This record gives sequence, structure tokens and C-alpha cells, in this order.
Amino acid sequence: MADDMQDFAAEARAFLDAHAPKAPDRTAPVWGEGDDSMAYFSSLPPEAERQHVQRARDWQRVRHENGFGWITGPTEYGGRGLTPVHDLVYDAVESEYDVADTGVLSVIGLGMIGPTILAHAQPPIKERWLPAMYRGDAVACQLFSEPGAGSDLASVATKAVREGDSWVLNGQKVWTSVAQHSQIGLALTRTNPDAPKHRGITAFLVPMDVPGVEVRPLRQMTGGADFNEVFLTDVRIPDDHRLGEVDGGWTVALTTLMNERATVGSEGAGPVAAALSPDHLSALMRATWTWDDRALRARLAELLTDALATEYLNSRALRGLRAGGTPGPERSVSKLMYGQNLTRAAHFVSDVLGPRIIADTGQWGTYAWSELLLATPALRILGGTEEIMKNILAERVLGLPKEVRS
Amino acid sequence: MTADDTGLRELRASVREFLEAKSPEEAVRKLMESEPRFDPAVWAQAADQLRLPGLVIPEEYGGDGFGLVELGVVLEEMGRALLCAPFFATVVLAAQALLASGDREACARHLPGIAAGGTTAALAVTEDSGSWDPALISARAVPDGDGGWKLTGRKSFVIDGTTADLVLVVARTVAGPSLFAVEREASGLAAEPMETLDATRAMARLTFDAVPATLVGSDGAGGRTMAKVLDVASVALAAEQSGGARRCLEMSTEHALTRHQFGRPIGAFQAVKHKCADMLVQVELAEAASLEAARLADEGSAEFPVAAAVAHACCSRAYMFAAMENIQVHGGIGFTWEHPAHLYFRRAKSSQLLFGGPAVYNERLLDRLGI
Ligand SMILES: Cc1cc2nc3c(=O)[nH]c(=O)nc-3n(C[C@H](O)[C@H](O)[C@H](O)COP(=O)(O)OP(=O)(O)OC[C@H]3O[C@@H](n4cnc5c(N)ncnc54)[C@H](O)[C@@H]3O)c2cc1C
Repeated sequence: MADDMQDFAAEARAFLDAHAPKAPDRTAPVWGEGDDSMAYFSSLPPEAERQHVQRARDWQRVRHENGFGWITGPTEYGGRGLTPVHDLVYDAVESEYDVADTGVLSVIGLGMIGPTILAHAQPPIKERWLPAMYRGDAVACQLFSEPGAGSDLASVATKAVREGDSWVLNGQKVWTSVAQHSQIGLALTRTNPDAPKHRGITAFLVPMDVPGVEVRPLRQMTGGADFNEVFLTDVRIPDDHRLGEVDGGWTVALTTLMNERATVGSEGAGPVAAALSPDHLSALMRATWTWDDRALRARLAELLTDALATEYLNSRALRGLRAGGTPGPERSVSKLMYGQNLTRAAHFVSDVLGPRIIADTGQWGTYAWSELLLATPALRILGGTEEIMKNILAERVLGLPKEVRS
Repeated sequence: MTADDTGLRELRASVREFLEAKSPEEAVRKLMESEPRFDPAVWAQAADQLRLPGLVIPEEYGGDGFGLVELGVVLEEMGRALLCAPFFATVVLAAQALLASGDREACARHLPGIAAGGTTAALAVTEDSGSWDPALISARAVPDGDGGWKLTGRKSFVIDGTTADLVLVVARTVAGPSLFAVEREASGLAAEPMETLDATRAMARLTFDAVPATLVGSDGAGGRTMAKVLDVASVALAAEQSGGARRCLEMSTEHALTRHQFGRPIGAFQAVKHKCADMLVQVELAEAASLEAARLADEGSAEFPVAAAVAHACCSRAYMFAAMENIQVHGGIGFTWEHPAHLYFRRAKSSQLLFGGPAVYNERLLDRLGI
């Protein structure tokens, strides 16, 4: 590590030492001790959920006040003006500490919407919302998908019609994560039905408390409701809330999607780390007397080969980034592998547990895995399905012909 | 010594250029049916022009003292080109066994000749079971009363065993598995070529009938030496595998762009496109795993044994997958003798099983992880 990185890491450590306890090591569990939750999505009752979000905000504010809230952000909006590598260094240091889970703010808002606002929004919007988001005051959501527009995002139908200095939005968004906690949402709308579909889209920042925005929780297969339907009925938005050009929203969307693909697949702590931890998995096999089952051992080895190789791929990418390179195809590959590794881990563990995953015996660390198992299908869909990611790899990396599209 | 990124790029470029000239497909096809299965003139040029045999041999023994990262670059290129040469047997297996034995005298005697390209060498460990586990070795060595040893037994799957000037043999003594050096001309040594799935990698069966041999390293230390050699060899093999896998992906991509059916390139069909994407994923993982293992070895990291096991498993699978799918993407053409796809398929399968195969490397990984 270069000197300035070492100084930066030391500074981060000093900050964290002063504000947070060290994290317990979840990868090497003492069987039967501590929290055995394997939830990938939170499925908390409303009051607990509210507290969870509050803790996230509080911790983000502490980070921000100490200069770690927006490491790569420009200083004029309260950022630190440092590089993505500093960001990664900070994340690595922070993962050793027991801090509030800030996913509700960071995965979509700070990771995807923030950079998009910075790149495309008009000055008043940047001034109003960027500092608020990175200080933890505002949660942001991504109002992209619609019932008829998922993988084929450019076919969004939510309409925006100009009326003087404002726009009137009508339509329905769906699967919108964290909308129930959000103050703002980035919406893609159709402004020109006559143009080719990628050219008739405009992006707007929607304050979620304006009249006509209705958020309805959508229960997901885990049982919880992290995502929502969002109905937009005669929602009036001033023109300065527009991002990018009129009918130029696809460019804006691409900024968000690029950042989305960089975000998903980079989570390394909590239940995810436990699910792929050799120590955790071997402890589970011992506890269930499956330690010397040859077939299971072979599968475990294959699973760990993939998990470790994915880790090596990420560290190679990181080294490249540190050396001043640009991100290669590694990101898309790790996103794919991330979903597959966790899926395979969940099914491997299910086979180790046998009936103990179909009904709760009350035994520590067993039925808890059903939480991860039920979350895994989402990992192959969200942020671009496996099929779409493979199209991207084949077309953009290998240069194969584009699909025939209407 | 470690080359920087520019150095590695230059090394790769010069090795690739050399192999394009000296080991094109026609040359490989000719050599795989001839005896010896390599071209001594090309081997001499590889030594004189590129100093390849001495690449990872320490400077004190006449080599250039580079590490596994540089070796990996060279092997990736050799894997792409399916080079028929005694490089893997000599430089990776035999020279590494000498180094791992810690026997400075044996190193001083044999390594300079290897580094200069004059001596080729082989490592004979496996017997009819094909296992690399020293505990399963039955060849024996007994003292000859004059400070030397006499070696008796049979070895199989010995890479380049009919041509090597020097054969390093693991045989059992009263103290346990031990490493010995045997000269090609030694009396009582017989070598016959084995028919091989992958004809680009020559293998032999060697019989030893009271063959005079010299102990390398200490008596009974063969097990430890072999464990070290196997780690290095499987990382080296991993690089060769990832090079071959990358070549398969390139062939498939090229073909998917040029072959038309139903009025469009087959690469426009998603079933084909996704096959190529799946190959890309495997190749990227393989390259990362092999490179990371080599890097950790060169850094002397304690994480190396785990990474070596991951590289071996990951690259074995990636190459096999890419070689199979490459034939599928090529359709009927891919199943012809004339098309190179089967050469890669053969190399992929034979490499996957060279050190024992999935059952062995899976357990090896778990063992390294303490499971
Ligand atoms: C947990 C979760 C959270 C989400 N959060 C958000 C959010 O916050 N904001 C937001 O805007 N969206 C969100 N999404 C939506 C997500 O982006 C979409 O679900 C996803 O892009 C897929 O679209 P779809 O569901 O319409 O599936 P479809 O596009 O209908 O796809 C159905 C199937 O067809 C396949 N398919 C489609 N097109 C092709 C093609 N060209 N080639 C091959 N196969 C194809 C897909 O791969 C899939 O298997 C979330 C989804 C989930 C599961």
C-alpha cells in the first residue's frame, strides 16, 4: 500500500476505534453462541424496522461528521474528494468493526442515485439533496422498474407531460426497494412516445412526500416487505427536478446502472461472509454429524473453490484499480458469481441440514439458514438478471452480435 | 527477481511470438506423432534465445531466478500453443524437486545443465495407480554398500520419461519415501512410451532393475519434498490450463462471429452467446486463481497452500469446461480430427487428472482449510 493509503487507513482506524466496538468474527463461530440470524433481507416488524433505519442514519451522520461519509464526493457538497481506492480501504477497515448496517442508505441511494445526481442534476437539486443524502438525512430509491419494464427497462410507460414550468407524472413503478423509507426517488418516465424507445425517456427526481405519490408495501417470498409498488398519480414536479436533457433520460439511467453493477457483489460481511466461510461450514458439518460424508465434502470443496476464486478475482481487480487501471469485466463476473456462490451455499447447507431446514427444531444455527435460502433467488434477478449479465459479457466483452431487438 | 507489469508484458509478447513461429498447429500435429515428441532444435532455441529453461532456476545455479508469476506467463503461452517440449517435466517437475529437496550439491550438479537447456529431466513418482501420494509408492531403494543406492520397481505416467537425460525418482527406503537421481544411461533402466489420451504430452513407463542411483536430499524426506513440488507444479499446471482455456474461448468467439446459420452469425443466438459468456466467467476466474496463487508463492505468503489448491481445482474445471463447450460451439467441425478443438479437449482432460483429479484435489483443498 502506498504511504498516503496507509495514513488514510490509520486515520480511519483511529476514527473507528473512538466510535465503534470491534466486530465479533462471524466466520469462525462458537457453535450455539451469539446471533445465528442468516437474513439477507431484513424482515423486521415495523417498529424494529424504524429503529433499524434510525441507527443507519445515526451512524451515517457520525461518519459524515468525521470525514468518512462520502469519501469520493466533491468537497463542495461535503465530500472528501478522494479516490475509489480510498473508499475501498475504508470499507475494508470498517468491516472489522461492529457498526450499524447502513444498507438502507448506501446500496441504492449513496451507491447508485448519489453519483447519478452528481453527474446529471441541476445545481439547486445537487445543493439541496447531495449533502442531505450523505449526511444520512435523506434515503433515496430507484424508481426504474415497472410491471411491463424489467430487463427491458427502456420500455418504461410511466408518463410525464410538461405543463409550463412543471411536469405531471402518471404511472406505476414496482419492486422499489426502500421506497417506504425514502425522501426522494429517481424516476424514469416516457416523455416522447413517438421517438425510438431509448430516446423518449426523461429522468426526474421525485420528492416522495409530494401529493400523488403512494407507496404500497409488496410482500416478497422471504415473507418481509423490503420492496414496494409506487403509484404516481398526477404528481407535479418542477422542471429543475429533471436530470439530463428532455428525452435524454437513458444516458442518466446508464449512469445508475453502471454504479448498480459495481455495487452488487461487493458485500463481504455478515451472513454472507458466514455462508461462504470454511470455518462456519465445517462447524455446521460437525454439528450435524455429516463431517465425513464424501458426497457433501466434494460439494463443499467445489463451493469453496468458487468462493475463493471469486475473492481472488476481486483482489486482482482491486490491485488493478490501485495501480490506476480502469475496471475490467471482473465486476460483472463477480456479480454473477456472487449470486451463484450464495445460491449454491444455501442449497449445500440445506442438504447438510436435511429435515432441519423444513421445520424449526429450535436448534441454534439450523433453521436460521432458511432466511438465506429464501433470499437467494433474488440475487439472480436484482440489478440485472443472470441472463442479462451474460448478454452484457458476451456483447461488450467478447464483441458478439447484439440480440435482435424491436 | 520479479518483473514489473511492463516486464511481464514483454515476456509474454516474446514467448508468444516465438511459439507462433515455432509451435504452430502443423508443428504440434507433426510432433505428437513422432519420437521424441519434441523438436530438439526448437528446445535449443528456447534456451538460447529466450533462456526459458533457466527462467525460475536461481542465479547461483545458472538461471535467471524469476518467480512463479513469470513462470505462469510463460506457461499460459505454452498452454495456448500446446507446445510439445520437455519444459513442464524438466523445469517444473524435476528442477523444482531438486530445489525442494534442499540438496545444494545435487542442485549444483544438475541445475546448471538444466538452466542452459542442455539437460532435460523427468520426475518419476506415480506408479500404476497414478497416485502422487508418497505413501502408495512401492519402488524400493537399498544401499549398494559403496555409499550409493540400487533402485528397483516400476513407474508409470512419467512425463517425457523416454527422453529425459536425468530421472528423479521417488522410492521407498527403510526411512520412508526418498528422492533419487538416476542417469539416463544407467544400467538396468528401461523406458517404453505409453499411449496417451493427450498425445502432446509424452508419458512413459520406466522399469528399474537394480539401477544405480544417488540419494537427493536426506533419506526419508521424499514425502515432504513431494508436497512442496506438488504445490508448485499444480500452480504451474493451472497457468498452462488457464492459457489453454483462454485459447478455447477465443476460438469459440471467432467462430460465433463468422459462422452463419438461419441468416445470422450463430453468436447472435443467445444459447451460443451465453455459452461464450459462461466460458468467459470460467476463464476470468481461472486466470485470477492461478495468478493469485503464483503471487502468494513469490511473496512467501502463508496463504499459498490454500491458493495453490484453489488454483488447481478452479483451472482444471475451467479448462475442461471451455474445451467441451468449444467443440459444441463449433458443431460438426469441432468433432473432426482436422480441427484443433480435440487437442485442447485431450490436454484439458489429461491435465485435470494428472495429479489425481477432483476427488484428490477437493480433499486437498479441504485439508488445507483445516476441514
Ligand atoms: C429484491 C429485488 C429488489 C429490487 N429492487 C429494485 C429497485 O429498487 N428499483 C427498481 O427499479 N427495480 C428493482 N428490482 C427490479 C429488478 O431490477 C428487475 O426485477 C429485474 O431487472 C428483472 O426484470 P423483471 O423482473 O421484469 O423480469 P423480466 O425482465 O420479465 O425477466 C423474466 C425472465 O426473462 C429473462 N429475460 C428477459 N429478457 C431477456 C433477454 N433479453 N434475454 C434472455 N432472457 C431474458 C430474465 O432473465 C428472466 O429470467 C428489484 C428486484 C428484486 C428481486
